[in-house]
Amino acid sequence: MEIYEKLRILADAAKYDVSCSSSGHQRGNANKQLGSTAAAGICHSWSEDGRCISLLKILYTNQCIYNCAYCVNRSSNDVKRAAFTPEEVVSLTINFYRRNYIEGLFLSSGIIKSPNHTMEQLIEVVKKLRTREGFNGYIHLKGIPGADESLINEAGLYVDRMSYNLELPTTKGLRLLAPDKERKQIIMPMQQVRDQMIAHRDMKKHLKSTPSFIPAGQSTQMIVGATDETDYHIIKIAEAMYRRLALKRVYYSAFVPGSTHPAVVERGRPPLNREHRIYQADWLLRFYGFKADEILTPDQPQLDLLLDPKCQWALNHMAYFPMEVNRVSYGALLRIPGIGVTSARRIVNARRFSALAYDDLKGIGVVLKRAKYFITCNGKYCGDGDVEPVYLRQKLLEPPKPEQLTLYQTHPEVFDESEATIRGLLT
Amino acid sequence: MVYLHDGSFEGILSGIYKMFHAKAKIDEGKLYEASVYQQSFFELTLNVETERENAHRVASSIYESFGHEGFKYVYYAYLAEDDSYGTLLFRSLKQAYKIGHQAFDALGVEDIRLLTQMANKVSRESHLLLGLLRFVKLENGIYYAPFEPTQNVISILAQHFEERLADQVWVIHDTKRGIGAFYDKTQYHLAPLNSFESLQYARDEVAFQSLWKDYVKHIAIEARRNLPLQRQHMPKKYWQFLTEMK
Repeated sequence: MEIYEKLRILADAAKYDVSCSSSGHQRGNANKQLGSTAAAGICHSWSEDGRCISLLKILYTNQCIYNCAYCVNRSSNDVKRAAFTPEEVVSLTINFYRRNYIEGLFLSSGIIKSPNHTMEQLIEVVKKLRTREGFNGYIHLKGIPGADESLINEAGLYVDRMSYNLELPTTKGLRLLAPDKERKQIIMPMQQVRDQMIAHRDMKKHLKSTPSFIPAGQSTQMIVGATDETDYHIIKIAEAMYRRLALKRVYYSAFVPGSTHPAVVERGRPPLNREHRIYQADWLLRFYGFKADEILTPDQPQLDLLLDPKCQWALNHMAYFPMEVNRVSYGALLRIPGIGVTSARRIVNARRFSALAYDDLKGIGVVLKRAKYFITCNGKYCGDGDVEPVYLRQKLLEPPKPEQLTLYQTHPEVFDESEATIRGLLT
Repeated sequence: MVYLHDGSFEGILSGIYKMFHAKAKIDEGKLYEASVYQQSFFELTLNVETERENAHRVASSIYESFGHEGFKYVYYAYLAEDDSYGTLLFRSLKQAYKIGHQAFDALGVEDIRLLTQMANKVSRESHLLLGLLRFVKLENGIYYAPFEPTQNVISILAQHFEERLADQVWVIHDTKRGIGAFYDKTQYHLAPLNSFESLQYARDEVAFQSLWKDYVKHIAIEARRNLPLQRQHMPKKYWQFLTEMK
């Protein structure tokens, strides 16, 4: 098979993996070799779905012995199969990198023969890149659940980031859709990676020559909307992942029903808005000092699709507001809807020199569309009118985008019925 | 008094030196590039000679007073090529020295805010272009990257690629400004560079270009197609140099 066709098939097979970040680790290039990594990460392009392309994201092979219902590469699915050789992956990575197409490699794979066998193939690729080619770019390797611990330890020496996909938020969901995988099998290597990372870090304190082990940390991914778990459930799991497994990122992927399977509910377009709100909640967990139980509760387990989670929290806690921007702490500033990490930092920095008035906030680039209802500047309230949560909510809602509704969107049943009638007439 | 400089960074810093030396008042001192300035009947002008030593003194003073971050703001804002930069820098420094070490955080001061905004614009574009710059491999093994940035960011990019693509010979070419950054596997230097008539690709260049195009096409998820979002991240003005968008 030609390399062109392989690349097409194996890019298609890899695209449902969300992670493409190349951040979290800064590596210089002391010996005039090839490549470096930037702490902030660099996007190199954006594909037609608006997602950034930072890494060459491919599967080593899309042959797979497993039959997971949500996955395009499941063994029962009728798709074309292909497999790279290690040399092909190395050549693509190096040549793309030299032309500045990519920031590095994201390598995953279907399971061929056994987890150990698959993992060995992946290690061969990254080892070649690092040792033979002297490649210093970013490498994200997908761990293969069920592979031996010694293989994880070896791979960890070559890659920047490693990830095991949680796939489905609940054990029940996993049992239903991925009968070949066990949750224990996914969590265990994540714990091993965490322990190894800590061990290496500790060792480095005493012995400077200790090699770094997965310096950019590990991440994971959950599919949202393929089974029936609530948002509360999802962010509770995410929180546990960050706290207990010290993950760098949890990714969420709105289920794309392209891969129809009897066990998966068919729902039309992927629930992109829900995914978006979950990401916002995730940001609150990681950068804004929120706890999962502050964002949602068992009684109110779903995120508001019309309003971002921070606004939602603020409306339920109006006693904290309005806050005086010249006085409250950085942590409190972060709780104000519309004020993010950058704005909060700017406010804290700027107010050391002089008290900030409403127009000063505007000047330093704070977006006040939502924030103005929740702050005072030098004691002056800046919003207009009522502060009753019910009215405030109306003001905070984003006005709907003007869209020409088709008759089908407003009254689909008319068409369904008439189609049935027409079919009836024809047969 | 209007001080005129030659447009170089050293020229501007020489101007600043002269202005501080002459104790120019914050509202009276102006600093413009000689070729851009329009003579006015009421204003006295003074052409400032570019003097390396003076420029150096100002630079190290900025560096010592406001640290690496502060100097970066000053230099990046210069790269925005805004006509108001000279005067703005003078006004900012006048106030910054009074505020002290972290003066460039004092965004409540209008001049400092405007200067940092100018610098941030350059920062943003250079970061975007670190990703969007595309090299093509030429017949003679040189990797060549033409581009047309809105701001003059070539020196920032060259510094980045000096570290990253350290083992290959490359040229980054700002075709709009006619500047090239040449790297010979040891260090880079900037020099004037005119456009090329035609370039001979290396043997495998076309193959890798079409592999890349294929990849970009296939990595998109059809059900999530969102062209406006793509354009928002990757403005159309950069497309003419992007292999995958051609």
